[in-house]
Amino acid sequence: MNIFLRELKANRKALIIWSVCMFLLVLSGMAKYTAYSSGATADVFDKMPYTLKALLGIGSFDVTTISGFFAFLVPYLVLSTAIHAALLGSGIIAKEERDKTIEFLMVKPMSRNSVVTSKLLAALVNIVIINLVTLFSSIVMVAAYNKGKDITSEVVMFLLSMFIIQLIFLSLGTLISAFMKNPKSSGSLATGILLGTYVISKITDLTDRVNVLNVFSPFKYFSYQDIVNGNGLSLSIVISSILLVVAFFVLTYLFYQKRDLNL
Amino acid sequence: MGVIEIKNLTKHYGKARGIIDVNLEVEQGEVFGFIGPNGAGKSTTIRTILGLIYPTSGTSTIFGKNCIEYPEVRKELGYLPSEVFYYDNMRVINLLKYSASFYKKDCTKRISELADIMELDLKKKIDDLSFGNKKKVGIVQGLLHEPKLIILDEPTSGLDPLMQQRFFELIGDENKRGATVFFSSHILSEVQKMCNRVAFIKEGKIIKLEKMSTLQENNYKRISLETKAEITKEAFNISGVSDFGVKGKTVNFIFKGNINTIMKKISELELSNISIEEPDLEEIFMHYYEKEN
Amino acid sequence: MNMYLHELKSLRKSAFIWTCVLIALAALYLSIYPSMASDAADFKKLLSGYPASVRAMLGINLDYITSFLGFYSMIFSFIILCGAIQAMNLGVSILSKESRERTADFLLVKPVSRSAIVSAKLLAAFTAILVTYIVFFAVTSIMANTIKISDYNGKLFFMINLTMFFIQLIFLAIGMFVSVFFNKIKSVLPISLGVVIGLYMIGAVLATGKDDDLARFLSPFKYFDITYIIKNANYEPRYIICSIVIILVAVVSTYIIYIKKDIHAVS
Repeated sequence: MNIFLRELKANRKALIIWSVCMFLLVLSGMAKYTAYSSGATADVFDKMPYTLKALLGIGSFDVTTISGFFAFLVPYLVLSTAIHAALLGSGIIAKEERDKTIEFLMVKPMSRNSVVTSKLLAALVNIVIINLVTLFSSIVMVAAYNKGKDITSEVVMFLLSMFIIQLIFLSLGTLISAFMKNPKSSGSLATGILLGTYVISKITDLTDRVNVLNVFSPFKYFSYQDIVNGNGLSLSIVISSILLVVAFFVLTYLFYQKRDLNL
Repeated sequence: MGVIEIKNLTKHYGKARGIIDVNLEVEQGEVFGFIGPNGAGKSTTIRTILGLIYPTSGTSTIFGKNCIEYPEVRKELGYLPSEVFYYDNMRVINLLKYSASFYKKDCTKRISELADIMELDLKKKIDDLSFGNKKKVGIVQGLLHEPKLIILDEPTSGLDPLMQQRFFELIGDENKRGATVFFSSHILSEVQKMCNRVAFIKEGKIIKLEKMSTLQENNYKRISLETKAEITKEAFNISGVSDFGVKGKTVNFIFKGNINTIMKKISELELSNISIEEPDLEEIFMHYYEKEN
Repeated sequence: MNMYLHELKSLRKSAFIWTCVLIALAALYLSIYPSMASDAADFKKLLSGYPASVRAMLGINLDYITSFLGFYSMIFSFIILCGAIQAMNLGVSILSKESRERTADFLLVKPVSRSAIVSAKLLAAFTAILVTYIVFFAVTSIMANTIKISDYNGKLFFMINLTMFFIQLIFLAIGMFVSVFFNKIKSVLPISLGVVIGLYMIGAVLATGKDDDLARFLSPFKYFDITYIIKNANYEPRYIICSIVIILVAVVSTYIIYIKKDIHAVS
């Protein structure tokens, strides 16, 4: 409990900054909707070749509708919160070795597993808060600009998928830090992998032929088109993702328990 | 002109007290000890001498020059910090060579000599060394360029007794060759053995600055008495008596002053036993370490 | 000189990794150019029928989107982003390293002035960025030549690529300033990622909206408008001046602050 509270306090400032940034991101993104939804542009997007749209990040969405536009905005939100999650996950485990507080903490009458649990719970709370801030901002901003039917349930779906992606990168971050001895390189590796999967998602955006690569990119696990169409999230994907997250967390515990701690 | 000259040096950390009005002069060729309780300001003083931190007021010079304006004076300076950290992934020999490259002289022979004396394996990676062995790297690094001024901050913490001895022999040799040594320590026996003069700093102020010989010769005597009858504190309330302790019929104290006055007092008592000794530095200074009530 | 070489050696590995990353990204995007070019040729005909405001809003300049240079300018923004992360990371870490790894007691007691230390590190970081850039440009030019469909203007290609170098210099300078300005830097990556991505998003969101000239000053990523470069074979002077001013101010401030700073035993 004490570790949990301590971690919450230590991360407070970063959490506030990130939350404000996410809010601003949603705000400024949605503000551009009016430009995109003006009548003349609808045709332009219609006729634009697929590769060009992919380059712009529009893909196959109809960005003149609010749900299509929001689907276009979501990848930016997801990328930001994914970076936050990866840095948070790798940092919260690695910080004891980085700040040389490991000799203090690990001789206390607490098992390594309970230390990890407290830290994971604190990280989880951070992730949830970021997600809720983004969710709330999105609902408010969408309502402000929406001229058509209410898409709140779709927004919730989008943010739910974002939450799962956050979990994936959080657990990946903790796993890397738990496995690696050197606290400095774990952060870089976690972000490196994240950016790598992001680039993969951009490639598969551009061409259909390498869709098999999508399994490596959490950004592509959820079909945003399906959400826009009102089909919600694919249950099998949700379950497999959660299983992946659980696996990563379990490995985090295992690796951290087994390895020599770096002084 | 002293090798180190500190005049009215004051450093405040915001509202917190650092050091206040410190005045010191270290002469060429002497070994100067700098002692005091934890948090007294020893490291602050040293870091100001070295130019790592800036004084709030006052001056500090090495070889007559302020070492921040004239970084070249640090060519003749060797420093061993109390906590030793070096760059990742470097081997000992590479770190030592890098250190030597700042001094524009060929130190290879000296490096191997020092490494031999301190039993330091030059090929090892610094990350793989124990705390004490890292300290040895620090010692070799501080001495390899044959500096004329050596500043040591708790130099023997972490070294095993044999290495401590070797280290002090090294410092003694350097001193014989003309080097000036300034060192801060908590180990009073070391200071007693090595130093010509000692300064005691407490709560940011120098409260004592004396030659070792004066401290020891100058009528400091530890007197222990066993009396036939119980003694009260008031009985020994005369000037020159300090560190007074009485337990039943045993009395002990330190006395400085005219030996005759205390002998007269003692002769008034009925004694069963008496011992008169020269106190060591620890006893002289121990009461200084205590907080004033 | 010894410090310069020592710093350079310690930067070797990361510079190598970043160079490979940048080249890989370029290779990736360039590989799709051929198929994209044929698609776009048809689209170009369609776009001409639409009002200028629409075209401007999409940030696409009609004549150049289908050309190799136009395509390159669109994909290049992501590569610049990565280059900026490298430079910012370098800038923030190279001076704070002495405090973070507590080697300050070793280095700052050596008979060298603090400004000499800053110079050596700055020069080493600059060299690392320069080498990364030169290798990147050389390899990318070769790749571009291989996949090109029709000849493109080499000089313009060089000028476009050079914008990354300028942006990297800006972030290097900002990074160094940030590292001396803040007293305690425990972890470099969150700061550099945060600042770079933040400025990138500001650029992406603000500047495409109203094409407001003033807003462009907020984000270094918007200082070099590639369509302008292609059209005029020149950079916009006021942004060049702005870049130089930022770099100079940041670097000079870094020197001043670092020289005046107290270096504490354990930060």
